[in-house]
Amino acid sequence: MRALRPILVIGICLSLALGASAQTLDSSDSSEYLIKAGFIYNFAKLVGWPSGAFSQPDSPIVIGILGTDPFGTIIDRILSDKKIDARRFVIKRLKWGMDLKDCDILFIGSSEASHLEEVLHSLRGTPVLTIGETPGFAKRGCIINLTVEDNKVRFEVNLDAAKQADLNISSRLLALAKIVPQATADAR
Amino acid sequence: MLSTRRHNSGSITLVGRVLLLGVLTICQTANVLADGPGGPQNVPDVTTMSLEDLMNLQVTSVSKRTQKVADAAAAIFVITQDDIRRIGATSIPDALRIVPGLEVAQIDENKWAIGSRGFNGRFDDKLLVLIDGRSVYTPLFSGVYWNVQDVMLEDVDRIEVIRGPGATLWGANAVDGVINIITKSAKNTQGGLLSAGAGSQEATAESARYGSKIKDNTYYRVYGKYFDWYPSIDSTGTMASDGWHQLRSGFRVDSNVATADSLTVQGDIYQDNFGETLTVPSLTPPTYSSTYPNNNDMSGGDLLGRWNHSFARSSTSLQMYYDHSNLLFPTIFSDHESVYDVDFQHDIHLGETQELVWGLGYRSIQDNNASTFTVAVQPSQSSLNQYSAFVQDTLGFFNSRMQVTVGSKFEHNPFTGFEFEPNVRILGTLTKEQTVWAAVSRAVRTPAITEEGLQLNAGVIPPNVPPLNSPLPVVESIFGSTQFGSEDLIAYEAGYRVQATSSVSLDLATFYNYYTNLRSAEPGTPIVEGGATPSYVVLPFVASNKMRGGSWGVEPFAEWRILPKWKLQGSYSFLQMNIHKDPTSQDPTADLPNGENPRNQWNFRSSLDLPKHIEQDLMLRYVDKLPSLNVPSYYSLDLHIGWNPLPQVRLSFGGNDLLNSQHIEFVPDFINTLPTEVRRTWFGSVAWTF
Repeated sequence: MRALRPILVIGICLSLALGASAQTLDSSDSSEYLIKAGFIYNFAKLVGWPSGAFSQPDSPIVIGILGTDPFGTIIDRILSDKKIDARRFVIKRLKWGMDLKDCDILFIGSSEASHLEEVLHSLRGTPVLTIGETPGFAKRGCIINLTVEDNKVRFEVNLDAAKQADLNISSRLLALAKIVPQATADAR
Repeated sequence: MLSTRRHNSGSITLVGRVLLLGVLTICQTANVLADGPGGPQNVPDVTTMSLEDLMNLQVTSVSKRTQKVADAAAAIFVITQDDIRRIGATSIPDALRIVPGLEVAQIDENKWAIGSRGFNGRFDDKLLVLIDGRSVYTPLFSGVYWNVQDVMLEDVDRIEVIRGPGATLWGANAVDGVINIITKSAKNTQGGLLSAGAGSQEATAESARYGSKIKDNTYYRVYGKYFDWYPSIDSTGTMASDGWHQLRSGFRVDSNVATADSLTVQGDIYQDNFGETLTVPSLTPPTYSSTYPNNNDMSGGDLLGRWNHSFARSSTSLQMYYDHSNLLFPTIFSDHESVYDVDFQHDIHLGETQELVWGLGYRSIQDNNASTFTVAVQPSQSSLNQYSAFVQDTLGFFNSRMQVTVGSKFEHNPFTGFEFEPNVRILGTLTKEQTVWAAVSRAVRTPAITEEGLQLNAGVIPPNVPPLNSPLPVVESIFGSTQFGSEDLIAYEAGYRVQATSSVSLDLATFYNYYTNLRSAEPGTPIVEGGATPSYVVLPFVASNKMRGGSWGVEPFAEWRILPKWKLQGSYSFLQMNIHKDPTSQDPTADLPNGENPRNQWNFRSSLDLPKHIEQDLMLRYVDKLPSLNVPSYYSLDLHIGWNPLPQVRLSFGGNDLLNSQHIEFVPDFINTLPTEVRRTWFGSVAWTF
């Protein structure tokens, strides 16, 4: 154990000293939900809602989070003081059964996987940007689905669903997306 | 973290105090900055980043680990690719050292004793190991040849380790744990990777991999690797004979043949040569034993195919593999083994809250061996068929806040016939951050080919030696028996997980195992050999199932992301075993609690990201003594640095076991291989991706 002490002491000192300096650097590794919150902000910028969707020029953009909330306070902190074209963000946590049509953006958590089709059916014809993060959601009808590949966040877009919701997706967004066709209703 | 011993000198105590003060100050600062009400100051403003920049950000692996683990009603630990890269693991056993509750002991340069929750040994038979769904557990002795289980570590996606019975899904012999090594899909290993390294103990290690795609839905990769290890030294400091080298190559193809169908085909071949110093019994006076260096060869290959099909509410998976291995241990044993396995699984989502999984399996084993005086296995040729089926139903209650899983595996094997392994698991979500789970399971360890037909000459007692004073040499032989049955386990497990703050998580697992019909060796009637002119006496010890007992333990694991760039992890495991002979047993070995298993183990890891793409990791471990083997406890400190001077180039350098110049970790059983010292070593490598 004698050899332990000086090496351990030096090792810990080094780690602490370096750790202290690390906090002032820009992080290139960030939590998954911080990054996804950034994506949602960008989606709000690059998606066009039909003219009747917002009652006034400064009506807020309402983001609903349906089901188990994976973001926690991070999305509130990120978007609390941001605006897009003078619109602020309002974030609501919702459960299946509540009125979802109030939202401009609806983030559907993985907890809703077993009744996703019912959720999407209840929003039919309304201009709600549905976003998921569970494999298969875009194919099943979500407009955008976030995925993590090789430790980086990517997204898929279902164009048919976007058209049905009367939402216009900017070509800038489409260029970076993986386009996913709508699955046919029955099992193969 | 810092242990203060009574005999510390005054100056160390002062340094200790200063350090503690330093740690506290930094922690306070970190706390204020990380979750302060004024907003995170050390976190990028993602709203000012373009989509392209956001798509380039790396997701930290903590969420991946915790997400996978949070839904499991089992003591599961996931070793991520990040972990493997950061600790500079050069082999699979190296990577396994960070798992709480797993015992990893190096015997010599090419042999390990790896076990979970007790019963560790070179031939540990209660831990099932799978590589991409293929079992690498040999039916010959119910264990794993760790020296030929190797993959390109850069292409490992994760290693899932479940301590405790995984019997229902993985079947018999997953009694105390399952290790599942999962490689990345070919889609995620595109392009080339060349790596070369050398060190003080690993003379050289080279690997190359190239991946590409055919059309848009079929991806493939091919790889080759070679390594060579110097021999280590024995306890007297003399160079031993445990050098080792291996050449391995393989491929993998992943294809989305249709929207709902995916196909994977993969295969490997290898050629391995490893050495050791053996002591074998002999009938030649005066020593009646012979110690010499032995050079062994193993070679083999495998081919696996898996087809997955998804329907609207269910999915099926059909897997087939063929595995062949050749062992040539001169003067000891030789064996050729082929395994052909077919597995089908169907996963159905019924209603809103129910998931049903069922499956069928068939395995055919061909074994062909050649015996020697030391090790003989009868019959020398066998062909065995095993059939299995399993079913498992998971139901959700209270809005899926409680999940109950009930399942069972049914198996038929040629030695003990029909085996039944049921289990019940409950997972409860107390709050968004806390889950609790409990399980009761039955698991079975079916006999190995050797337990049914082995004769292993373990030692010779020379003539005229007290207390026996036999006129002839006495050969102590361990015999298998066709009467040998399965070992049984009933396991009671429970655990608790909490995401205490956004940066601190804790995972606690506990268990109580009750074993019956454990293997014992019962003395039999001595047999005089030599016919008309008696030359020696065989003292048989026949494998029987006359041991039983309980064991229990606790395995906490905690993770603290102090700063976005700095993560600490720590784990501790406690194991208390009370295994003893049945009253009718006459096995001469003494009952020793814990036996070859350490009572306490802990490890502490620090992972730090430095500027200019440097990663620095430190791991400090403690392993308690192994009472029955007289192996003392030890501490080990590993330091590792990785640097990406350019995106395509990675330099890596590490030192292992820095605290002791050398230590022994295990003394092997059954085959008397000389254990060699685990020494202070360094290793460096360069990797280029293109």
